[in-house]
Amino acid sequence: MDVNHVSKSFGNRHAITNVTFSVRGGEVLGLLGPNGSGKSTLMKTIVGIIKPDTGSIQVLGTDVTSDPVAIKAIIGYVPESPRLYEFLSGVEYLDFVADIHMVAKEERQERIVEFFKALDLEGRENELIHGYSQGMKQKLAIAAALLHHPRVLILDEPLNGLDPRSARIVKDVLHKFRDNGVPTIFSTHVLEIADAICDRIIIMDSGQIIAQGTTQELKTKAGSAGSTLEEIFLKLTGTSDTRDIVEALGR
Amino acid sequence: MKLNAVWSLAKVLTKSQLRGYQRSKLLAKLFGNPSVIAIVDVLLVGILGTIGYYLVSNLPQDLLTTAARLEAEMLIGIPTITTFMIVLFGILSELSQPIQSTSADLVNWLPITPSEYVLGSTLSLSYTYSFLLAFFLGVALGPALYFDHVLILAATTIMGAISLFIGSSAVELIRAVTNRISSSFYRKSGRSGIFARLSLTIIALVIFQLLFSGRVVASLLDHLTQTVVTVWYVPVMWPSLVVQTLSTAANSVPLVFALLSLGFMLTVFALAVGTRRAYWVPIPVSIRLSTQPYHASFSGFRLPGLGIAESAIIRKDFHSLTRRREMARFLAIPFVLAASLWISLYPFGGSSEGVGLAETIPLYVIPIAIFCEVLSMTSIGQEGAAIWNLYAAPLDARKLVRAKMYLTFILGSLFTCGLLLAITFLSKSGIAEIGSLLLLGLIIVIEESALGVYVAGRFPDFRETVRSRYVSVSGSLLGPFLGLVVALLTASPILLADTLQTVIPPILIVVLIGLLISAALWKLAIRQAESLLTEIQV
Repeated sequence: MDVNHVSKSFGNRHAITNVTFSVRGGEVLGLLGPNGSGKSTLMKTIVGIIKPDTGSIQVLGTDVTSDPVAIKAIIGYVPESPRLYEFLSGVEYLDFVADIHMVAKEERQERIVEFFKALDLEGRENELIHGYSQGMKQKLAIAAALLHHPRVLILDEPLNGLDPRSARIVKDVLHKFRDNGVPTIFSTHVLEIADAICDRIIIMDSGQIIAQGTTQELKTKAGSAGSTLEEIFLKLTGTSDTRDIVEALGR
Repeated sequence: MKLNAVWSLAKVLTKSQLRGYQRSKLLAKLFGNPSVIAIVDVLLVGILGTIGYYLVSNLPQDLLTTAARLEAEMLIGIPTITTFMIVLFGILSELSQPIQSTSADLVNWLPITPSEYVLGSTLSLSYTYSFLLAFFLGVALGPALYFDHVLILAATTIMGAISLFIGSSAVELIRAVTNRISSSFYRKSGRSGIFARLSLTIIALVIFQLLFSGRVVASLLDHLTQTVVTVWYVPVMWPSLVVQTLSTAANSVPLVFALLSLGFMLTVFALAVGTRRAYWVPIPVSIRLSTQPYHASFSGFRLPGLGIAESAIIRKDFHSLTRRREMARFLAIPFVLAASLWISLYPFGGSSEGVGLAETIPLYVIPIAIFCEVLSMTSIGQEGAAIWNLYAAPLDARKLVRAKMYLTFILGSLFTCGLLLAITFLSKSGIAEIGSLLLLGLIIVIEESALGVYVAGRFPDFRETVRSRYVSVSGSLLGPFLGLVVALLTASPILLADTLQTVIPPILIVVLIGLLISAALWKLAIRQAESLLTEIQV
């Protein structure tokens, strides 16, 4: 996956500025950054649901802007706080997604049952999504993204609201996809998770990439070899001095 | 009770309600202020009163007796009608509100007691609906001044204010009870509960719509003043009885009814507080549709002429229409239109004889056009924040347009057949005429489906609020207007057949016009959908 000099503005606000990076097959790329740093916009641009103002994105050799439908067919995408069709039951929703992606009948029967079992949704599959908890909705969105055997994964904070068991399952599934050569972009605010599952990390701030590399490379760049990823992140994004804020909030 | 908190809460809730209906931030800000609402109400009363006084002063002598009778009926009826209207508005607002918004209201988590909440909410409803009372009082003011019934008008005003509060408290009571009943009902009923809710919502909407027919309101008012004394034991009538007995009975009688009205107001308020205390936050209920294990039985299901993806979107949209309570109003349209049509053809006390085919064509074409246009032009905006599911799916513009048009086509065709059946029965038409009407109806259904999808893609509104429109203000005005123009243009060869006297049968010209318009609108809808799918808007 190649992202070349991509920029996107909404009115006067520059959401992404001249972003360039690439992701190899089987690589998990972690996208980190403070709120509003442009991570979600970048992910939507790669999925083809936001059109970049300048630059180009190639996914498995296809240009996203010129053939977004082909890209969407091979991508598995989980947005940040996904809104699902709350008037459908869990199985109806997955059936809908499977129909859209033309998943064969026998295969979907097997995969949908598997997903419900693995993500602890068994017994709740015929209930309307409206009655699901936030975590259950998140699990369903993840299942929907993985249902059609995607060849690329774009996951925007996929572990939000998941219980430890489900989070572990999702992380293991990601490893499996990595072993199968699927490139993955994964955003999270939990830096320990990024440290544990990402091969490489990009740190964004104000729509720009301010650092990229493996955790080790980032430590070297930040000039603090023994630091944690959190310390590097806070240092690079200029948010390390939090003492005054903590003082004020603690009063 | 913290009165400052109640006052602030009332203002916040009023703003929140206004923002649900009114998209202009300035208007919402202005009307969120009770003083501004009071000023507008006073102005409304003053302006209507002045116009009314001028009109009554210039009435011919023989009409003054009728005017005096109507004025008396109004003054007596205003308190009861006010309560009645507020309760209806409240129910309608409740029906059109997405259930998740009620349970997620920030107010549920504020440190306030049920009585503070109910008082704040009741005051807020009273502000919001005070324009109803102001309107009624404004209409009554002119005649009351002319006939020198100032004292009775003052009593109507006071009792109207009490009725306003009774109605608002009753709405609070209904909200709490509805939360409780619907929670228990859905937990047990599943799919049948969804059907029952849909049916009840449609019935409520039809009744509400019919009540706004002037003829029904006039008949209601007349009936009310004739029966008000005989139903003295019905508490909601007590405020009207104060006004009624003021000029006809001893002084103690209106006083008793005034005290009873106050007591009733406090009782309804106390009941609302009690039920709110018991059922504070609405609990989202898990509705189980089936207990069977998953079986991919519908997989690969295709509607004739469509692919699997389009058929899946249609199935989803059909579930959206039948399972979301805020969508029931769209399914109610055919029933409301059919009821209005019935009233037009069968006026109260009138007869069905002599209804010709020419007279029925607009009554046939217009409801079809409105129903299909509204259904189709809301088809994209109703996706709400879940629209990302379609953006992220491998769908091109043609698939999206086909799917969105097809559901309108199916439901529009069913409505057309039903309407045609009724019209055939009423106008006693021949086979050839029925065939022509059926063809005309189906062509209009196709045109409106395509036009609607164009408007839906051009002016979508994905915001999910109370009474979401799913299409912007411009779209909601332009869509039905263009829809009517297209429908009447298509029907014009039949409507003007006698005048034009063409050699070609009018229905052939209709088909030709229909094909041309449909093709043009299809192309427009595709182009608009391509533009829409370029970039997500939420």
